[in-house]
Amino acid sequence: MIRSTYLVTRRDYLGYVSAWGFWLGLLFTPIILGIFVLAPTFAQNAQPTRYFTVIEQGTTFTEALRDNLSGSDARMARAMLDPLAVVEGTDSEKVAAFDAAIESGASVTAAFAQAGGDPVTLPRQDFVEVDPPVSSGSELAPYLLGEILVATPEGPQPLFAALVVNDASGEIEYWSENLQARTLISAARQAENDLQLDRALAAVNVSREVLSQARDAQRDVKQQRVRIGAEADIETEVTQTDRAPFVVSIMMAFSLWFLIFSVINYLLMGTIEERSNKIFDSLLTSVKLPHLLAGKLLAVLLLALTLMAFWGIGSGLMTWFMRESIPADVAKGLGSLVTAAANPALFVPAIISFVLGYLMYGALFLALGSLCDTIQEAQTLMTPLFVTLMAPLAMLAFAIQDAESALIEIMAWVPFFTPFLLILRMPTEPPLWEVLAQLGIMALTTLIILHLATRVYRAGAVHGAGVNDVWAFFGKLIPGKKSSA
Amino acid sequence: MSGETPLKMTGVSKWFGSFQAVRNLDFEVPKGSIVGFLGPNGAGKSTSLRMALGVLSPDRGDVKLLGAQPNLESLKRVGFLPEERGLYKKMSPRQIITYFARLKGMSHRDAKARADELLDMMGLGEFGRSRVTKLSKGMAQKVQILSALAHRPDFLILDEPFSGLDPVNQQALEDLIIDEHKRGATIVFSTHVMEHAERLCEKIVMMARGRKVFDGTLEDAFTALGRAVHIGASDGFDMTAAMAPAGFEAQKDGDHWRIGLKPTQTSQDALRAAIDLGAPITSFTPQEARLRDVFVSLVSEAEAQDLTDTLAADDADGRDAA
Repeated sequence: MIRSTYLVTRRDYLGYVSAWGFWLGLLFTPIILGIFVLAPTFAQNAQPTRYFTVIEQGTTFTEALRDNLSGSDARMARAMLDPLAVVEGTDSEKVAAFDAAIESGASVTAAFAQAGGDPVTLPRQDFVEVDPPVSSGSELAPYLLGEILVATPEGPQPLFAALVVNDASGEIEYWSENLQARTLISAARQAENDLQLDRALAAVNVSREVLSQARDAQRDVKQQRVRIGAEADIETEVTQTDRAPFVVSIMMAFSLWFLIFSVINYLLMGTIEERSNKIFDSLLTSVKLPHLLAGKLLAVLLLALTLMAFWGIGSGLMTWFMRESIPADVAKGLGSLVTAAANPALFVPAIISFVLGYLMYGALFLALGSLCDTIQEAQTLMTPLFVTLMAPLAMLAFAIQDAESALIEIMAWVPFFTPFLLILRMPTEPPLWEVLAQLGIMALTTLIILHLATRVYRAGAVHGAGVNDVWAFFGKLIPGKKSSA
Repeated sequence: MSGETPLKMTGVSKWFGSFQAVRNLDFEVPKGSIVGFLGPNGAGKSTSLRMALGVLSPDRGDVKLLGAQPNLESLKRVGFLPEERGLYKKMSPRQIITYFARLKGMSHRDAKARADELLDMMGLGEFGRSRVTKLSKGMAQKVQILSALAHRPDFLILDEPFSGLDPVNQQALEDLIIDEHKRGATIVFSTHVMEHAERLCEKIVMMARGRKVFDGTLEDAFTALGRAVHIGASDGFDMTAAMAPAGFEAQKDGDHWRIGLKPTQTSQDALRAAIDLGAPITSFTPQEARLRDVFVSLVSEAEAQDLTDTLAADDADGRDAA
């Protein structure tokens, strides 16, 4: 068995890795993922500055809008200085320095620099206010349509939007030909909200300072956890190290899903190729069917490991070469993730889940591929499987919010989802019997699927069964329906 | 190869749903022989050969391949060319031959050397490292044949090996089969082209409608058909009446008479008798026995028998229903 399985594995594996498509996927996947992650930043930086004006008797609303827009820039700068602290509302030296600089009247750019940020990395201002070219809203049309340009610091430019404060009607009108961009109109609404709040406070002789004082007096709600045993001496406050297993489990579950989703097509394509090339009889007189299937599954598993190794080593090397420029707190965070990933309580179930999950889905795709002569035929059978594979991805969103969600706990018992969801559950330290039971059910289901897949593969490879036979089979299951097959 | 019979099938039947593809098949391939497995399309030849190799399991009966139930060990001594041709399109002929030879147990080095040797022998040396997609259909078929015999099998099973080959390549394949036979291999090949069987085979097995209709030597096949001469005579001469006293059976066959020959009679005997009887002879043609005629005759009989069986079964069903 070992020799024939090895030979099938070797042939298939070398066939896959010698295809240019494999290397294209290997190299381009990280690039595409990188682009996907950085796309919002790129898009923001690529977006041209938009010019707006405010027509108002006086400057009250205009001032409120200016404050709001600069506040928005300040919030962006704070988030860039220490994303984790800003999201979680925890203390941060950088953010405190920035706030102090703003408080003392510094511009966002200057405060960002004072807090240790590089102003070059700050995104460009989205909206720049210009003087109103006309005194009433009724004369704005040619400017908004781009027929007449407005004077800006960068020379004549089209007017993107105008806000007209109509004292007579008591309304604020937002004029723009772009109906989709919501940022400026949201800022205007917020500014009006702030303005009216200030007026209400003034009416009862309360200064806005009171709100600032109240905010300053807010007590931080610090997340704590009970520590016992070896951890009894550690501070009870929740740290990055505590959160790392949850982050790692989500990364692992996503990686498993992504790998299975990426390589499963190779099994499908390989089998369809062999069926359409009519090579099964030659193979089946040289190697036993279970050995043939084992060889094929191993070949694609090796392919998945090759991808993992390539991307893992690549990431490791990049981190190593960039180690000098990685901020200490980021390095510490990465260290926590590595430590969490190295925990056997997480990686042992992860590895078992990966292998069983791969075998389960791999055998299904292999069997269905043996029934198809063309990709078009395969697509009709693959849709339910792909939909099944998408469900765990949706579960990841739940896990990010609450890894102990009852939904995840229940769905983890469904063997088709267990490979992904068990990993997500591991940081919540579920009872050992549950882990073992879910692994056991998953292993049993995998064995049953392997057995059935072998039978389906034999039907497809030896007897030439096809897609129509599958539909005929399901037709027979419908009570009262006679199948023509 | 030890003394075991390469292939013995006993009472083998195979159904696909309600259709019976092979019916109670008995036959044996003697060691060291070349056996022709003949029959029209749909006769059950490929199904029988796939059962012989264990690819399909018989529903009834017993198959012994090299003395045992077909298994991976016995299959290592067998080379098989399936009816449905196929190769890995992205591999080179050299890689394919090496791969299948290794699956049959050869070492990597021996398999590669053997692949080079066979490719050179068949004039495909220069294409050895090209992708299969660059080969012509005939070349690709040769590669598949070479894959079947690369591991020097004791027993070669070739399903329709000549189909799709041009006459030159058919001759090359015949030569290859003869060479393999000389090497000591036992060979079974299926075909519906009788000329190949006439030239190569010592033994013939014929199938029609899933049944074996003949199993024997070429001579047996010709005997089964019966020999004859065709004699032309002037109008009005009754050859049947004239030849009967001399022990010959004559039948009108178009514009001439067909005189059947018994095993002890020769065509010269028939001619001499006709002259002696004063027949006004206008032509004389000894009928050469051809396997094609045997084949057509036996297949027609089998089809007639099949039709009779079907009608009888329908009648029985009708009676049951009544």
